[in-house]
Amino acid sequence: MKKTKTSIFAAATALTVLLSGCSGVNSGSNNEDPNSGTTNSASGKQDEITLYTIQSTNPNFEAWLNEAQEKSGVKINWVAAPTDSDTRQQKISTILSSGDSSVDILEINDEMATSFKNAGWLDPLQDSVLTSDIVEQFPQGYMEDMLTSDKGDIIGVPSYSGYLGLWVDQKKLDAAGMKSIETEEDFVNFMKASTKDGQYGYGGSWEKTYVFNEIATFVNLFGGDYFDWTNEGSRKAIKFMYDMANTWKVTPVDQIADKYEQMNQKFIDGKYAMVFMWGTGNDYKEANRYGMDQIHMINMPRFAKRSIFTDSWSYVLNSSSKNKEAAIKFLKYAAGEEGELSGWKNFGRYPARADVASHEAVSGDVKVIYTEIQATNEIHGRPMLPQTMEFISEMGTLFQNYIQDQMTLDEFCTKAQEAVEKYK
Amino acid sequence: MYENKKYITIAWILVLPALLIRVFTTIYPIIETFRISLYDVKLLRGINEFVGFQNYLNIFQDSKMIASINFTVIFVVGSMIGHIVLGIALALILNMKFAGQKVLRTIVLLPWAMPMVVIAMASKWAFNNEYGLVNDFIRWFNPSFHLDWLIHATTASHAVIAVDLWKDLPFFAILILAGLQFISSDMYEAAKIDGAGVIRSFFTITLPLISKNILVLSIFFTMWRITSFDVVYAMTSGGPGESTALIAYRITTEAFTNLNTGYASSIAVVLFLVMALLSALSMRAAKRVDY
Repeated sequence: MKKTKTSIFAAATALTVLLSGCSGVNSGSNNEDPNSGTTNSASGKQDEITLYTIQSTNPNFEAWLNEAQEKSGVKINWVAAPTDSDTRQQKISTILSSGDSSVDILEINDEMATSFKNAGWLDPLQDSVLTSDIVEQFPQGYMEDMLTSDKGDIIGVPSYSGYLGLWVDQKKLDAAGMKSIETEEDFVNFMKASTKDGQYGYGGSWEKTYVFNEIATFVNLFGGDYFDWTNEGSRKAIKFMYDMANTWKVTPVDQIADKYEQMNQKFIDGKYAMVFMWGTGNDYKEANRYGMDQIHMINMPRFAKRSIFTDSWSYVLNSSSKNKEAAIKFLKYAAGEEGELSGWKNFGRYPARADVASHEAVSGDVKVIYTEIQATNEIHGRPMLPQTMEFISEMGTLFQNYIQDQMTLDEFCTKAQEAVEKYK
Repeated sequence: MYENKKYITIAWILVLPALLIRVFTTIYPIIETFRISLYDVKLLRGINEFVGFQNYLNIFQDSKMIASINFTVIFVVGSMIGHIVLGIALALILNMKFAGQKVLRTIVLLPWAMPMVVIAMASKWAFNNEYGLVNDFIRWFNPSFHLDWLIHATTASHAVIAVDLWKDLPFFAILILAGLQFISSDMYEAAKIDGAGVIRSFFTITLPLISKNILVLSIFFTMWRITSFDVVYAMTSGGPGESTALIAYRITTEAFTNLNTGYASSIAVVLFLVMALLSALSMRAAKRVDY
């Protein structure tokens, strides 16, 4: 009898231990000390959100976080997003699609914004955060293409405006005896002049999910349409990229394995004379290669036209969030002048709001070139479809096959058009 | 009799928590995966329609999936041949008596102790034409050698198999070594007296006596290879094109990147059935081999 009682006690203990092991899991988020004044006036409960961020590895993240908490009045717990783009997208897709409420605000890129904006996973912000006076300060075309759903809801606050700009190595430009790259002819001449001794005139990141940016850029420059592969401009663009790699050999076919990290390392090491790259040159600054006499951004050349892509990472509100009131407070801060300026000051992100970009605190060579680009280029959001990554990956695979002579130009264009029809 | 029943009841109560957890974490997901596989679920488009076995039919008409199946077969066969041949060779070397034998045995296991994702990310650089240590090594002997391994389907496949071997071969060898150490040295001495050389001793004594070890290890290593995912995820992203996309990688991509949950589930069910079938066949074969 005693033995039986002991056994039952053991079973009960085992069950209790097991069940207790199923609860109270630490989320792994990082809690910073809240600043004063972060209380919800209605309930007396402290305002608190969890932010899923890509900036946590930035050395100035702590300063940005403290400022955001102080100015927004919200305690911000944060979770670091994976640095690998595929992993990051998979995690964010899983969080949003599963109704996970452990994260309130997420930073998402254009690919994710396009995919998620009609899925009903993100709360509309036009009534609470992005009122008309604020929205009109953001780039209108970008807001409509990337952040506005079919129902007309605006689902994100752009944290900055970036361009997929042309970065050149000034020393190589000087060595080629050129002052600038203004036309298609200049572009080709510079590539040819800079290709020697194992160095190339142009560098790309042609990994199948990254090459999309460059294909679309050349399509734009040649006046084509990424969704129309019968368009002569689109065909010219893809043929131009083929010629760069195979006819003129001014860029290596090897780069079809490269993402930005490999491309940038080669550019920094002097293996490339120019690249298309996002951002304000932080990688080059860290490598002491940034400057008007070294690597810097120049205006886009005119092929059929001058055209450039803009992008952003946007703050979005998870529909499943349990802290929407606090999240909206944070988003108001992020969409406001202080939030945008803090992004510029701490992360070097160019403000997305026109009125903030014109602020005297925003200055330097980036502002000069951005202003020139805005004055002279057609500015577009990138061409994306709802099944964004699937479409991008399929186009990238086709491109890699074409570049490696596994299909002809006509076959590429036919299959590319089929992919457009399939995913549109 | 009564006591027996009581103890059985208590035994069931004791294992019940574990059983419940098992049902929740294994049986339920399997049933749910099969159910979802009968639907066309595209989360991004809000589609969720019952399509019967259409997803299963699509698997064999999808060129990406066929490429994945082809590469998975090449990867599993290539890697397993490498494991068996090189694993036995390495085990024989480690079984020899020489100074520093223990140190070598420890060092050999180091790659196995490293996470595959770390190895694969490092390998992406290692196989780079400009910066990679693989080409750097080859250039000691052939200074003009240039090859970016990961941009051609064939060389990328070889690189992926090589990395997989580099990581897990030592573990395979150490387990074979454990089998070798059970073989009595008397048998080799007797064979030597009978005039058998080293090669004959290997084929008539060593190999038959470790064959069951090899078979059992091969079963598990084959299963792990079939469900491998991390090596291509971090090293090639399934490229160039789709040429190194293993089936498990394809499932992950369809499920978590493309959010085609129904289609991903149907591939997962097929993979599950293949694994179950192979396991049954292998276990039966293992029972029959007895020296």
